[in-house]
Amino acid sequence: MTPRDLARVALVVFAFVVVQQTLVLDLRVGGVHPDIMILLPIVAGVVGGPSRGATMGFGAGLVADLFLPTPFGLSALVGSLIGFAVGGAALALDRSAWWLPPVAALGGSALYEMAYAMLGSVLGQPQMLHVDLLRIVVLVSVVNAVLALPALRLVSWALPEASTEGMPTSAVASGVLR
Amino acid sequence: MPRRSRRPRTTLLLLVLVAVTIITLDARGSFHVITSGLKSVAADAFAPVRSGVDDIVEPIGSFLAGSVHYGAVRQQNQKLQAEIGQLKQQIASQADADQAMQQLTALLNLPFLANLQTVPAEVTDYDISDFAATVDISVGRADGVQLNMPVVGAGGLVGLVVQANHDTATVRLITDGQSSVGVRYGPAPGSLAVLTGEGSGKPLSADLVPNNTPLTKGEQFATSGLQGALFPPGIPVASVVTARTGATATQESVVLQPLADLAHLRYVSVVLWGPAA
Repeated sequence: MTPRDLARVALVVFAFVVVQQTLVLDLRVGGVHPDIMILLPIVAGVVGGPSRGATMGFGAGLVADLFLPTPFGLSALVGSLIGFAVGGAALALDRSAWWLPPVAALGGSALYEMAYAMLGSVLGQPQMLHVDLLRIVVLVSVVNAVLALPALRLVSWALPEASTEGMPTSAVASGVLR
Repeated sequence: MPRRSRRPRTTLLLLVLVAVTIITLDARGSFHVITSGLKSVAADAFAPVRSGVDDIVEPIGSFLAGSVHYGAVRQQNQKLQAEIGQLKQQIASQADADQAMQQLTALLNLPFLANLQTVPAEVTDYDISDFAATVDISVGRADGVQLNMPVVGAGGLVGLVVQANHDTATVRLITDGQSSVGVRYGPAPGSLAVLTGEGSGKPLSADLVPNNTPLTKGEQFATSGLQGALFPPGIPVASVVTARTGATATQESVVLQPLADLAHLRYVSVVLWGPAA
């Protein structure tokens, strides 16, 4: 990645943090608020493949952890795993399909929240399993599915070149991906 | 079988290792100071951005709300115009301010604080994470607030400062699953227990209450203030909702309700007190 690309990624992450910390925190349904930071690794995975999904998940997760009372590094850990998983799954599908980002956001966000609660519990925060996880999963997943396409445009702008990492070498050679 | 690049897996493995290392180190005292400092810097740096965005968004939100409800707003406006003459003569229009003043006054005269110094604060945010019971308050290190200082509200204990920024702080509520408070109960001096949180909006549970301890509904538990405790003695924490002993249980099962109304906190006081003080 060039310094210009890095600056763009930093700008997008900053924009997401600002929106999350100012607008999204005030949007509560049944005491639960959405979490759009999760969209970053998911959409980066769709756009750039598993490696970029994981890296975005780690970076955006660390930034998110700066504002959370939960263990520092937990969002980075879960973000890396989800970004990688979504990126890997997207390789097997048609990345240009319009439905892929919303579906990836729906499933990825649900997985993220469940993994977050379980890993947090394993890492010494047992209370993280004592929340209304179903409500959190449903709200966060649905909101992120709705916002997936705008998020995809932003992340595509920041990560202009799609990655071929993790793709079957035969597929890369045949030019399936741009 | 097509060959796949191994780089993504290596990248993931490295990132996971780094993240797990950070989490593990954060659980230890020395590194936690660094992460806490980073969080503090981030919160302080972000405060003007947040404030600026709020200043921009609030009028837009009000405008949009006004546009959507134009008819109702116009009707309400006419009604209000008619009542202006009366309202001018009524000091009661200050009801909200009076209520706020009453809450603040109550905080300044909490009997259980004795001579302890306090700093009043406004609650600015609830539950910044869906996975933790916390509130953000409007005072920070600049006001003398430090890590692990107790926070009280009208009624009793609210929680503990877990993040002290320059002008703000984060308080972990006593209902959070990570919270535990050493308490005394009953007339006997040696009746000690630990109250633990079960999550936001849920009641507390008591550990170490022996079987068949006679507890009545409404009986209050107050901080024990034992040596090294995180809270000074005598602050009311919670009252008994139910208490029962199971046939094979090793201790009594006690459910308690926090005495402070944690769901509607508006103002709190930070007690300028530490275990070493």
